[in-house]
Amino acid sequence: MSTAGRDVRELRGQIRHWRRGRVDTSLVEAFTDAYVVIFSAIVLGAMAVSVIVNLRVGATGSCTALSCLDARDALGWLFGLGAAALVLAVARLLGPMLVSPAVGTWLLTTPLDRTTLVRGRLALSAVAGAVAAATVAAVGATLSGYPAPVVGWFTGVFAAGGVLLVGVATVAQARRHPAVRVLSWLLGGALWVGLVLVAVDAVPSTLRAPTAPRLVLALVVVGSLAVLALVAAYRDLRLIGRDRLVSGGALLPGLSGALASLDLTLLYDILVSRHWRARSSVRVVRGRGTGTSALVWREVVRLRRSPQVLVALAGSLVLPYLAATLGLGHAMLLVVTLTGFVAGVGLLTSLRVLSRTASLLRCFPLPASAVRWACLGVPGGVLVLWGAAATPAVHDAVGGAWADSVATALACGLVVATSAVRWMTSRPPDYRLPLITSPMGAVPTSLYFSVLRGFDVLLLGTVPLLVAPTTNGAAVSAALMAAVLSFLVSRP
Amino acid sequence: MSRSGRPSRTPPLLRVRALTKRFGDVEVLSGVDLTVTAGKALALRGRNGAGKSTLLRCVTGVDAPTSGSVELDGEPVDERSVSVRRDLAIVLDDMDFFPDLSVIEHLDLFARAHGVEDADRVVDEVLEEVRLTPQAAQLPGTLSSGQRRRLALASAFVRPRRLLVLDEPEARLDQAGLVWLTERLLREKAAGLGILLASHDPDLVAAVADRVHDLDRPE
Repeated sequence: MSTAGRDVRELRGQIRHWRRGRVDTSLVEAFTDAYVVIFSAIVLGAMAVSVIVNLRVGATGSCTALSCLDARDALGWLFGLGAAALVLAVARLLGPMLVSPAVGTWLLTTPLDRTTLVRGRLALSAVAGAVAAATVAAVGATLSGYPAPVVGWFTGVFAAGGVLLVGVATVAQARRHPAVRVLSWLLGGALWVGLVLVAVDAVPSTLRAPTAPRLVLALVVVGSLAVLALVAAYRDLRLIGRDRLVSGGALLPGLSGALASLDLTLLYDILVSRHWRARSSVRVVRGRGTGTSALVWREVVRLRRSPQVLVALAGSLVLPYLAATLGLGHAMLLVVTLTGFVAGVGLLTSLRVLSRTASLLRCFPLPASAVRWACLGVPGGVLVLWGAAATPAVHDAVGGAWADSVATALACGLVVATSAVRWMTSRPPDYRLPLITSPMGAVPTSLYFSVLRGFDVLLLGTVPLLVAPTTNGAAVSAALMAAVLSFLVSRP
Repeated sequence: MSRSGRPSRTPPLLRVRALTKRFGDVEVLSGVDLTVTAGKALALRGRNGAGKSTLLRCVTGVDAPTSGSVELDGEPVDERSVSVRRDLAIVLDDMDFFPDLSVIEHLDLFARAHGVEDADRVVDEVLEEVRLTPQAAQLPGTLSSGQRRRLALASAFVRPRRLLVLDEPEARLDQAGLVWLTERLLREKAAGLGILLASHDPDLVAAVADRVHDLDRPE
C-alpha cells in the first residue's frame, strides 16, 4: 500500500468517525421512518414480477401468429440492447466516475492519491451497471418465453455487458475519448434496426431464442472483456480530471432533488441546461420578421439547431408500426400517443423556459397567450405531422375507411402536442398549499399529482379514439384537446 | 440636484400612491408615495430587506400590492397589458434566458418582437456598447455573471421604452461597466426617458438620480 493510499484510508476513517459522532438516529429509527418506502418497494416489486409472469403466460396462449412469435423471440434481444444503451447513457451522463463538489474542492486539490479516492465509486458503478442491465434483460427474456436456464444465462451475459460498458465509459472519461459517444449511437441504432425488423416482420434467425451453450460462451467472452475493461478503468482512474469528476457529482444532487420532489420538468430543465452549457456556442442565425413572426422564426432556428430531437422523434415512428405488427388492435393508439409524447416533448423547450421564467415573458410586448402560441406553432405542427405519419400503422391496426384512419392519426398528433404543452407548462409543487403529514415529512397536496401531468391530458384525448377510432371519435378528441390547449396557452 | 422627494410640475409618467405590501403578518412596504417624470431619475435607497426589490416588483406589476395603486400615464399598471410591456423596460434580479439561443440572438429576438426597424444594426450597436461582441455566438449558460448582467441590461436598451425600471443595475459590473452604465443612464434621461432604479452604489445614485426615495425606517 502506498503512503498516499494509506493517507486516503486514514482520512476516510477520520471522516467516518466524525460522521458517527454526529449521528442522532439509530438504524432501527431510520428503518421505522422509511418503512413505508421499503414496504411500497416490496409490494410494487412483487406486483411487477407478477405482471411480467402473467404476461408471459398470457402471451404463450394468445401469441400464435408467425409474426407475433418472431417478434416475441426478438423481444429478449431488444430489451437487452435497450438495457445496454440505457447503462451507457447513464454512465456518460454522470461520468461514470464522480465525486461530490465538496470532495472536488477539499480533497481533489490535495496531493492525495486520486485512484484510492475514487476506486470505491468504480466498484459501485460496475455493480449498478450490472444490476440495471441484468434486470431489464431478465424482464425481456422472461416476456420472450425463454426457458428458465436460458433466462439465467441471458441475464448473466447482459450483467457482464453492463460491467463492460461501465469500464469502457470510465476509460473514455479518463482519456476524453469520443469513442463512447459513437458506441452510444451504435447501440441506439442497433436497437432501432431491431425494432424496424420486427415491425416489417423480417426478424432474422439470429434474433430468435438463444440456446444455453451459446449464452455460456457469450458469458465467458463478455465476462472476460468486462474484467479487462475494469482493470483498464482502474489503471486510468488517476488520469480523470477534476472537472470531469465534479461535473457528474454536481449534477446528481440536482437530479435527486428533482426526483425527490417528483418534479420531472425540473429534471428536464437540469438536463437541458447541462446540454447547452456543454455546447458553449452556436452558429449565429439572424432573425426574420417582427412581432410574433420573429418568435416563430426562432422556433425554426431552434429545431434546426437540435436535429437529434427530430431524429429521435422520426426514429420513434417505428413503435406505432411495431404495435400494429404485433396486432395490438385499438390499444396501439395508446402506443402512438405515448410514443409521440415521450419522444416529442423535447421540441417545446422555449415554451418551458417561458413558463418557468416570468421575467423573460415580460420582455415581449405581446400578450402572454400570443407569445405562447408563437412558440407552440412550429413544434406543435411537427407533432401533428408526426401523428399523420403514423396513419398507415393506424389503418393497419384499426381497419375501417382510410378517412377514419387519417382523422384518427391527426387527432393522435394533436393529443401528443397538447399533452406535451401540459407537461411543459406545468408548475412546480406549491408548498404554500396545505401540507399532508407523511413518514417522509410534510408534502403538499399537489406533489403526488405533478407526476401525472401530461399523462392526464394524454388519456383524456386518447380515450375517445380508443372507443371510436373514426372521424367522429377524432372530432371529439380534437375538440377536447382544442379546449385544453386554449386553456393552457391563455392562462396568466 | 433636488433631494426633497417632491415631484416636479411635469405630469408624472409613473405614479405610486399609498402602496402597501404585506407578506402574511410582515409589512414590507407601508404607504409608499412616489412619482417619476419623463427625463428624470428616481433612486430607491435602503438597507437589505428594506423592500426595494418588492417595490419594483409591485411597480412593474409582477407582484400585486396589498393596497394602494400604481399608474403609468394615468392608467393602472397591469403586467399583462401589452401597452405596459411596450413602455416599461425592466431589469430585475431574476432575469433568465433561453438556453439554446446565443447572446446576439436574444437581443435580435427582443428587438424584432418589439418591432424595431433595422434590428440588425441596433443589435450590433448595443452589443458593442455592452462589450459583448466577442461573446455574440456564446450561449447564456457559458457567460460569467457580469456578462449575464450586461446582457440583461442590453435587452432593455435594444427595444423601445419610456420608463426604465432597474433593480441594482450595478451588481456584478466591473469598473468599466459602471462607467458605461452611468453614461448610458444619463443619455437615457437626456432622451426624455424616466428611470426608476434601486441601487446600493452611492456614486451611481449621485450621478444619475434627480431624487432619492429612502425606504429605510427605524428598527
